[in-house]
Amino acid sequence: MAAQPYGLMAVFDTVPAVFHAAEAVRDAGYKFWDCITPFPVHGLDRAMGVRRSKVPRFSLAGGLLGFTTGMSMIWFTGAFDYPLIVGGKPYFSPMFAFPVSYELTILFTAFATIGGMFILNRLPMHYHPVLKADQIVRGLDDKFLVVIEARDPKFNLAATKALLEKAGGKEITELEA
Amino acid sequence: MSTRAESVSSSLPVTAESENTAASKALIVGGVGIALTAAGLFVSGGGKVAFSWLVGMTFWCGIALGMLFLVMIHHIFDASWSVLLRRQFEHGLAAFKWLLVLFVPLLVSVFMFPGAVWKWMNPAFDLSAVGGHGTVGDDILWVKKSALLNPTMFLAITVGSFLIWWWLSERLRGASFAQDNDGDLKWTYKNRKTSAFGLPLAALSLTLCIVLWVKSLDYHWFSTMYGVWYFAGCARAALSVGLLIMVWLWNRGDYKGILNHNHFHSIGQLMFAFTVFWAYVTFSQYFLIWNANVPEETFWYNLREINSATGMANQWKWVGMLLLFGHFVVPFLALLSYKRKLSKTEMPWVAIWIALIFLLDLVYNIWPSKKDIHGDALPLLQLHQVWTLTAVIGIGGVCVWAYLKSFSTTKLIPIRDPRIAECLTYHESTAD
Repeated sequence: MAAQPYGLMAVFDTVPAVFHAAEAVRDAGYKFWDCITPFPVHGLDRAMGVRRSKVPRFSLAGGLLGFTTGMSMIWFTGAFDYPLIVGGKPYFSPMFAFPVSYELTILFTAFATIGGMFILNRLPMHYHPVLKADQIVRGLDDKFLVVIEARDPKFNLAATKALLEKAGGKEITELEA
Repeated sequence: MSTRAESVSSSLPVTAESENTAASKALIVGGVGIALTAAGLFVSGGGKVAFSWLVGMTFWCGIALGMLFLVMIHHIFDASWSVLLRRQFEHGLAAFKWLLVLFVPLLVSVFMFPGAVWKWMNPAFDLSAVGGHGTVGDDILWVKKSALLNPTMFLAITVGSFLIWWWLSERLRGASFAQDNDGDLKWTYKNRKTSAFGLPLAALSLTLCIVLWVKSLDYHWFSTMYGVWYFAGCARAALSVGLLIMVWLWNRGDYKGILNHNHFHSIGQLMFAFTVFWAYVTFSQYFLIWNANVPEETFWYNLREINSATGMANQWKWVGMLLLFGHFVVPFLALLSYKRKLSKTEMPWVAIWIALIFLLDLVYNIWPSKKDIHGDALPLLQLHQVWTLTAVIGIGGVCVWAYLKSFSTTKLIPIRDPRIAECLTYHESTAD
């Protein structure tokens, strides 16, 4: 038995074609698949049934961590580790700790957002089977591609091929893993 | 999309009848509120009722000014998604001429009872009645500031500012409504020019007015943040009212097929941004005064925290805490959620909360300047606060009436605005 392919790729000529193909693949219940378009297509995420990004959760965690870091750092240095009166103020007050905590909230939120994005989209990725296919060049220029991965539980070489054909896909190719 | 918009707005004359009925009701409510406040003169006396009236004036002027700023910001940025919201704000701007009329009692008080509201109006005012000593005329801090703090400047700046706001409003409204008929681009350019010189004019007049109306109640005080603080509150209140209008028109059916969830997301984002802005400005004012610890400045916050006679916390301390959590923490956390920003059932509550806490913020800035013989703030919870409520309802009734009267005279959305198609197909975020 030949090695399992990475998946199937189909080429579409127009935005509406790939849009409706995406809806068809979504409705068929596939999970591991993607559309490759030369430019952002408004509404395609919805047509693909993509859920909202989970990046904001990283951002929230980063923000909370930044705020508590700022507050506790200033309390630790100024009131606990080396108590020191500065400007006749208390050893610790949330007042003067606030500007620093606020800056750290923003800084850690930014780090967590960028980091969370890289964790979720698994970039940088040095190799991807799709890049070996010839059609990818057109897919970055003037064609629209739909790729369905073989690891999808619904994947069945013949049935998936039929689905893509029915959706109007051309040049349906098996991608080498 | 635009054809659908036209068919919706062409059905307006049918509902104009109901708007006029609603407008009459609002005017009746306003009249009752004003009459009750006037009756308060015989219960609590002019000095206190004037403070209540000042709260009502700054609250509704704040909403109208916030709308004026948002309309001009819309034009200056050549924004697209807010085209349909802009039309509702334009109707809100119809209130300015009536707000000027409603400010007249305070102007009359300046000349008939100088010193009754603003101590410095009367150089012979005896400061020992409010915990000080000598008269205002002997007070070096007034003498140094008297170039601005005198009745002539007060009258000129107040009336001048209202005329500026009224004039800017009529220019913006007139050009926008005229474009509905001929679709001429010149109206868009005219409004952009109006906004370009209108923004600095409005910023200057807003700052001068809030300094004279509210900050000067305690004329010893210094704060460079005051105008920005008021602007932040104005923008938040105006956005909240804008959101309530959007939900109202959505539920009534007017906005069906016109609004999509991106419009709600965007106004929610603006409400969130101005929440942070308000907190930034208000904290800056507090923090600089706390850090410098100069008596000429700290007394303003001490007045709102402790009674000098007993050294105990007064009621205003809890109002201050409520502002910290209610004006910032709660709306901040509530507006973080993407899903909530799209919710047409939860967001109106957030909006009502923000508008009411803006009112409380004004009460916190105005009322503690009413002092007893020890120089301590009168407590919040007293009978005369009833007149604050009646004043807010009274002036509000007139503003809502002015809005509804204007609402029934034009199209629901600016159908020939060059950005209207972009607005109706507004697309920013996607999946929910």
